[in-house]
Amino acid sequence: MTTLDTGGPPADGLLSPEDPPRRPERVRTVVRGIGELLITAGLVVLLFVVYEVYVTDLVSAGKQRDATAALDDTWKDGGGGVDTVPGPERVERFNGLNEGSGFAKMYIPAFGADYDFTIIEGTTEKSLEIGPGHYRGTAYPGEPGNFAVAGHRVGKGAPFNDIDLLNSCDAIVVETHYSWFIYRVLPKGDEVQGWAAGKGAADPRCQGVAPLGGPYAGLVGQEIVRPTQGEVIAPVPGKSGAAASAGERATLMTLTTCHPRFSDRQRLIVHAVMVKQWAKDPAKPGETPPELKETS
Amino acid sequence: MYGWIWRHLPGPTMVRVLTSVVLVAGVVALLMFVVFPWVEPKLPFNQVTTQQ
Repeated sequence: MTTLDTGGPPADGLLSPEDPPRRPERVRTVVRGIGELLITAGLVVLLFVVYEVYVTDLVSAGKQRDATAALDDTWKDGGGGVDTVPGPERVERFNGLNEGSGFAKMYIPAFGADYDFTIIEGTTEKSLEIGPGHYRGTAYPGEPGNFAVAGHRVGKGAPFNDIDLLNSCDAIVVETHYSWFIYRVLPKGDEVQGWAAGKGAADPRCQGVAPLGGPYAGLVGQEIVRPTQGEVIAPVPGKSGAAASAGERATLMTLTTCHPRFSDRQRLIVHAVMVKQWAKDPAKPGETPPELKETS
Repeated sequence: MYGWIWRHLPGPTMVRVLTSVVLVAGVVALLMFVVFPWVEPKLPFNQVTTQQ
């Protein structure tokens, strides 16, 4: 008898393997369930990242391709795929454009020879899914005023992913039915001082680019603003009510996208000024302006 | 949760594996084509325009 008396719990203690495990079992089930839910939630979030970064790119690439094909079709309306529109009628017509239809192409040679996007009319979510969208009511390519374009920075083809890397004098080439318009990024804030003696003189690409005067004084190539500052796309950027007199009116282009990346706290704005315009020569189809080769 | 689903799938192991693959594919498709497109416009990084 003394050997059995271990001083442990009395007889019913021997039943313990039968009863108490049921409670830990239940706790374990609940804890496991919560754990599985958390892991599942993590996988869903990961899947969303994949969707946002890759799947929307694929979808948008398809839509952009369709828009480009449609635009090429309208440009070839001369018949037989040849541009045969006679001289006096070679005038750009932008009125009556429908939301969501492409009307011009943009190239940024600094981003590589393959950087081209068809610009879509309108800035609704649907339009921006197809490509960079033109703010309705702002000027059209080559027109005096401010040709303003918005584009995605994350997913959806992310056309404006890298516009924070644009330097002053980098070319933004816009192609329309009959013309090529060469815009160049304006001097940045820290370059305005001493522009004429500094970069403005040193870089041959900077011909025609200089800090603007008159009502445009203070306008720089890149700025970061609050989402409410819609005046950045005004004809005189930064001054919504102001109008420039006919003599000093500049032909500008403005790009807008979100900033910082993955956030909507601010907007990144790039201003460019038109420095040159080439008319397409019907005798030489496929001819491109020399600015397109500035791919460095 | 997953254990419970597994226990309630009918058939031998191979059939269960196939059924679960189909189930996972279905959930992924539902997320990709219905849930994510719906959630996306509500998220911040898609606003690239300024107020006009």
